[in-house]
Amino acid sequence: MLGQVIISGILSGALYAMVALGLGLIFGVMRVINIAHGPLLMLGAYTTYFLYAHFGINPLLTVPIAMAVLFVVGVLLQRGLVFRVVDAPELSSLLLTFGISIMLVNLAQLAFTSDLRAVEYITGSWLVGGLALSKPRMIAFVFAAAVTALSFLVLKFTRLGKAIRATSQSREVAMVCGVDVGRIHMLTFGFASALAAAGGALLAVIVAIQPEMGGVWTFKSFLVIVLGGAGNYPGALVGGLLLGLVEQVASLFLTTQLSEVVAYVLLVLVLLVRPSGLLGGRQT
Amino acid sequence: MTSKAPTALAVALALAVGGVMPATAQGPIRIGASLSLTGTYAKLGKNQHEGYQLCEKEVNGKGGLLGRKVQFVVYDDQSLPATAVRLYEKLITEDKVDAIMGPYSSPVTEAAVNVTEKYKKVMVAPLAATTSIFKKGRKYIFMVISPAEVYLEGLVDMAAKRGLKTVAVVNEDTLFSKAAASGAVELAKKKGMQVVFTEAYPKGNTDFSALLTKVKAANPDVIAAATYFDDAVALTRQMKELNVNPKMYGVTVGGDLPEFYDTLKQNAEYIYGATQWEHTLPYAGNQEWFESYKKEFAHDPSYHSAAGYAGCLVYAEAAKRANSLDADKVREQLLKLEMRTIFGDYKVDADGFQVAHKMVTFQWQKEKKVTVWPDDLSKGKPLFPTPAWTGR
Repeated sequence: MLGQVIISGILSGALYAMVALGLGLIFGVMRVINIAHGPLLMLGAYTTYFLYAHFGINPLLTVPIAMAVLFVVGVLLQRGLVFRVVDAPELSSLLLTFGISIMLVNLAQLAFTSDLRAVEYITGSWLVGGLALSKPRMIAFVFAAAVTALSFLVLKFTRLGKAIRATSQSREVAMVCGVDVGRIHMLTFGFASALAAAGGALLAVIVAIQPEMGGVWTFKSFLVIVLGGAGNYPGALVGGLLLGLVEQVASLFLTTQLSEVVAYVLLVLVLLVRPSGLLGGRQT
Repeated sequence: MTSKAPTALAVALALAVGGVMPATAQGPIRIGASLSLTGTYAKLGKNQHEGYQLCEKEVNGKGGLLGRKVQFVVYDDQSLPATAVRLYEKLITEDKVDAIMGPYSSPVTEAAVNVTEKYKKVMVAPLAATTSIFKKGRKYIFMVISPAEVYLEGLVDMAAKRGLKTVAVVNEDTLFSKAAASGAVELAKKKGMQVVFTEAYPKGNTDFSALLTKVKAANPDVIAAATYFDDAVALTRQMKELNVNPKMYGVTVGGDLPEFYDTLKQNAEYIYGATQWEHTLPYAGNQEWFESYKKEFAHDPSYHSAAGYAGCLVYAEAAKRANSLDADKVREQLLKLEMRTIFGDYKVDADGFQVAHKMVTFQWQKEKKVTVWPDDLSKGKPLFPTPAWTGR
């Protein structure tokens, strides 16, 4: 039993890590806590659903499309709204993204209705020994791991990635060194939205899609980046896997209801004992 | 309050009109109700409203009630219990309606019944399924649909008859699902089955991996799940993902919707579900009613429509037998009445609690819901046992 839940934990942990990385990037670069991160994920899930249901496109091929679409949405949101609150007190950005989040959810309800949608693509599992490896979750895991790894490579080695990290460390110095900070903010928001969209697209084959599915992902992502260390990008990976494992193991030994309690108790403990997160805060 | 002036005006006008017109028995019998026409329950409340409308039409078509026409006075409570309380107060004290029918849903009924009891008005409450509403010593409220506790009765009964020994019961941790789950547990024990696993999960839960891992370890013959729609879908998908293979698996609410099959496709096959009513059930006049409803409102009725319609007919029948609209006389008849409508049987115990209406258990077979329980209503045989996921 333990083996089974550890597998489940790792499988969902990778998704948590990828989605949370987006939230962490925006926070690191702009000091904005993006409450609309979950609703952006929801839009990604709907993109996959419509491409699959109306054009018959293989759900896995829709992942890059959903990412591209939401990249554009993210850029537009940043250009249109979010850039105004980058230097404002954090409460302003919280309020703004909270508003965007409500707006996105209600627009989705209006446009897509709150009927549940599902992408019935691959179901079932591979049986290995006594363990059942869920097919959709394994696939989502592989994609999430690949996207996360690619993101780290981009951040680590490309000029753009270096500029993003530089902006995150010190905006003024980056600006002095010739980084177009406005452009970096825009690209980061777009990129983070694309990561949320990838999460949504992969979730579409696992859970049912509805306009309010995103909310819980905002909170989980927040939990992950606090656990891992806000602004510390590899921290998202550690935090994601940790959250996935804690949830599953807690539901095994306690109950499903208590597992959420355990996850949030962990959050409180980390904030009390090690407020900068398990891997420490922003890298300098 | 700005609304005082117009209200006063309306009252004055009503008094004036009332003074001029003789209050004769020739005026229509006005039946008051508040319904959830907007808000969370809008869709279901509207169906109930259409049931009332069809009942009104039919009663009037047959010459009315006690020689008078019947007319519904309906307000929108926006799915809010507090609004419903205010509206029933208004219906009884300001509009002075002759009779009352219930609102939509248990929470709204639970609130509104305090008003009708205060004024000693009979309320047939066709869409309240929570047992406790009827077990608080109230005198004038009557139940029409089956309570939550019996939703899984068919599944457990069929399992026991087939000699299955163990059952796992899981439920969403909300009022209705808890009642359905506890009903299943009690019934299973009564039938000599062993309840090997029970657990509740929070509303909105999407990940059932750990829960199902535990269920799998307990290896039950039957999985009875007291669900709504989202969780019923998620549980089923994840049962397949974790290769959990009970001999029977049933859900409560949600499993009867066409969307359930649309979402799960062939994975919904063999799953048992429960329903208050289907238009295919062999109650006299059911199919014709279904057709005339579709003609009238241009969409299919749900069980809410049928229950609303039937509840209204039950009240009319009781008033007819009492030959009066007097609350105590109608109450006496409602307590005695045994009646079969297109919605099924009506009979209540001394508390007004429904004891005759049967939940019907169906099984998804080749994209169709086939009624498999109880025997006298069933159309087909259950496909038993449910094959393993890998053997389909």
